[in-house]
Amino acid sequence: MLDFLQAVSDGVLFGATYALIGIGFTLVFGVMHKINMAYAAASIGGAYAGLLVLKVMAAAPPALVFLGAFAAGGLLGWMVYLTCFHFIPLSSPLATLMSTVGMLLLIDEVIVHVTQGMPQSYPAMFDDVMLRAGEFTLRGDLLLVFGVAVVCMAALMLLLYRTRLGLATRAVSQQPVAARLCGIRLEQVNATTFVVTGLLGGIAGALIGASVGTLSPLLTTPLTVKGLIVTVIGGLGSIPGAIVAGLLVGGFENVFQLYRGVTERDLYVMLLLFVFLVFRPGGIFAAKSGGD
Amino acid sequence: MLELQTLSRHFGGVRAVDGLDLSVAEGQIFGLIGPNGSGKSTTVNVITGLFAPTSGKILFRGEDLAAVPTHRRLRAGIARTFQNIRLFGQLSVWQNLWVAQNSAEDQERQGFFARWLGGQGGVRAEIAQLLEFSGLAHKQDELAANLAFGEQRRLELARAMAAKPKLLLLDEPAAGMNSEEIAQLRERILSLRERGVTILLVEHVMELVMGVTDRIAVLNFGQKIAEGTPAEIQAHPAVRKAYLGGDAA
Amino acid sequence: MDFYFGLVQIIGVHTLLGLSAYIVLLTGQVSLAQAGFFAVGAYAAGMLTVLAGWHLVPALGASAVCGAGVACAVGFPALRVKGLMLVIATLAFGEGVRLFFFNFDYQIAKGEIKVGPLGGEGFRQIRFFPENGWTTGEVMVFIWSIVAAAMALLWWFDRSRYGSVLRAVGEDELAAQSVGINLTAVKVSAMTVGGAIAGVGGGLYAHYTTHIEHASFNILLATFAIAYPIVGGLRNVFGTVLAVIFVQGFLIEGLRFLGDWRNLLFGALIVLAMNLRPSGFLGARRRA
Repeated sequence: MLDFLQAVSDGVLFGATYALIGIGFTLVFGVMHKINMAYAAASIGGAYAGLLVLKVMAAAPPALVFLGAFAAGGLLGWMVYLTCFHFIPLSSPLATLMSTVGMLLLIDEVIVHVTQGMPQSYPAMFDDVMLRAGEFTLRGDLLLVFGVAVVCMAALMLLLYRTRLGLATRAVSQQPVAARLCGIRLEQVNATTFVVTGLLGGIAGALIGASVGTLSPLLTTPLTVKGLIVTVIGGLGSIPGAIVAGLLVGGFENVFQLYRGVTERDLYVMLLLFVFLVFRPGGIFAAKSGGD
Repeated sequence: MLELQTLSRHFGGVRAVDGLDLSVAEGQIFGLIGPNGSGKSTTVNVITGLFAPTSGKILFRGEDLAAVPTHRRLRAGIARTFQNIRLFGQLSVWQNLWVAQNSAEDQERQGFFARWLGGQGGVRAEIAQLLEFSGLAHKQDELAANLAFGEQRRLELARAMAAKPKLLLLDEPAAGMNSEEIAQLRERILSLRERGVTILLVEHVMELVMGVTDRIAVLNFGQKIAEGTPAEIQAHPAVRKAYLGGDAA
Repeated sequence: MDFYFGLVQIIGVHTLLGLSAYIVLLTGQVSLAQAGFFAVGAYAAGMLTVLAGWHLVPALGASAVCGAGVACAVGFPALRVKGLMLVIATLAFGEGVRLFFFNFDYQIAKGEIKVGPLGGEGFRQIRFFPENGWTTGEVMVFIWSIVAAAMALLWWFDRSRYGSVLRAVGEDELAAQSVGINLTAVKVSAMTVGGAIAGVGGGLYAHYTTHIEHASFNILLATFAIAYPIVGGLRNVFGTVLAVIFVQGFLIEGLRFLGDWRNLLFGALIVLAMNLRPSGFLGARRRA
């Protein structure tokens, strides 16, 4: 029983990173009704880029590396926007989808080339801190991951609900044509959405690297799939859904790992997706009523 | 032929159709009119099965349609046209008619293999007839998206006819037509009736409605406010009020 | 000469993969699951020839059946969801298949050695072709006869009412439903046919490479599968073939001097192609 609780708690804390990735997917879907398949790869890419800080300054504190990942994520987000959404007419959904898949492959390959396929160790914070309550442990680094993720989500909500940009974004997600007629610049909103989700993704990638201890290009595919699973379970377009679903998937994943081991773990996460698809395709929270 | 019993369809707080009672007899051309937003199109959508009714019943030839999914309703004998034409633009005129041949009669006539994987030969005569009727024979290989607006409307109607329906629901077929086109449409609708098709005509264009229907029902805010012959409806005070507002004595 | 035969073999097998995605794409569904059906066919055919001693041809028949069966089973729940959700569901399925084979062990002893799939190590020694004295040229002709048959089948579908119905569903589901087309039946049937074609492709793949492993059936392969009909356009099957020849021939072999950077180029090329020609090489028929 204790093992189970421990697995759930560790899983849920780590699940905050999945929540961030899920938010990234779902926000782009909410605003543009498109999936950015390259998102998870760009997030990991951002995390890798954060390591460049260490090249420049060998003894840099981890916080700086995280900051580097944050910035790099935003930059990558903007690049994905440019290559996949800015020039391709939005009426060709297949073309934009394929384009993002192309970027996913491209980013993956660039990572593999630059690192020559070698996993890179990632700095962690508070990894030696453990809060104990009897036999039950709360890892300090996981608590940090959770905390940082929560701060990011709060910042995003503030952005969406307390700023003009956020208002414009929400308007576009509900009625893109009417929003344009009100003078909102669609391209600007779309590009900004990508940058903001990119920033979130960079942090998420860094947090994943920090809690796992290493970064490897093998992370991108499972992260893409899990991020999408989180998005679907939470409901396409719903940020609260992505948050809840992220924590849920994190918890479940760890429990599956406890009982069935690491190699089978991901299979069960997929099964979770199919259960949802069959019984509750709208997700936990159905999407915000969109223009469709 | 068709009977709607206290049919209602609500969308959240909006009562698009509210307690509608309607009865269309076999062989009738029945008109459904009303101001914009009165629930005419929603009624058609509920009858064809795109929306499930919130309450009430739809009886078609005595059979309750509640459990019948949309595509089966066509096989049961109901066909419709769309207000804003929904042709298969990437298919040719001929192919648009071909894919619509899903009536029960067609299913019995040809075997599964012939119907699905056979070539065009088996149905060439029938489709040619439909094309003649709609004046589209010379454009049979043209992409539906390339047709002129009037031709597209004719194709929309022909495609509904390809299904060999017993009941045909026409959703504002005269929208955007000039008088000459309306006269031709009127002729076509009357000849359809001669072939034994019952017609429910949802329309705004009074020139057509008054000239072709046997009976008319008037909707306003989802409810029926009047029913009668064209002459009766034209003189009806509630109808005038609904369309013109206020006192229009 | 053998090198070129080998290249033509790869193009053939990938054409089957692309064709399997093509028929599903006609109905408007983007499926990233074709690599999964391909994997199922590969392991099935391999196991039948190696472990059960079957001849290749019936083994390929079994691959087709397995691919079709799995596709049909996946099709029903997956096609209840729309558009982008289907992309996600099929992606997850494809990954699930890969993970399944990563964990799959089934070995029997043949003489002194053990043969059969062994989890992460994959399935080695699928040696039907060499053991039966097939030359590279003969294998190539065999593969392409099957490809030609598949193309003929899809061409026939395209010219029949089924083909028009597939495209009608792909274009406007609401209208299709309203003219009496059973959407689920049409979509699942397309998925099933696609699964069969992918299964056969996988079976052939297993035998000409003689060694398969889970990592070969990854997201990259799933992307290739769907990229071919998208880049090639949906007007007819030849678009897909052209796209395969373009990608595999020109890109991967022609640019071999770029060495490891080839894969990088694939992603960049897709991005470029989509920006320049969003509707593919042989896109939709022209509007007036």
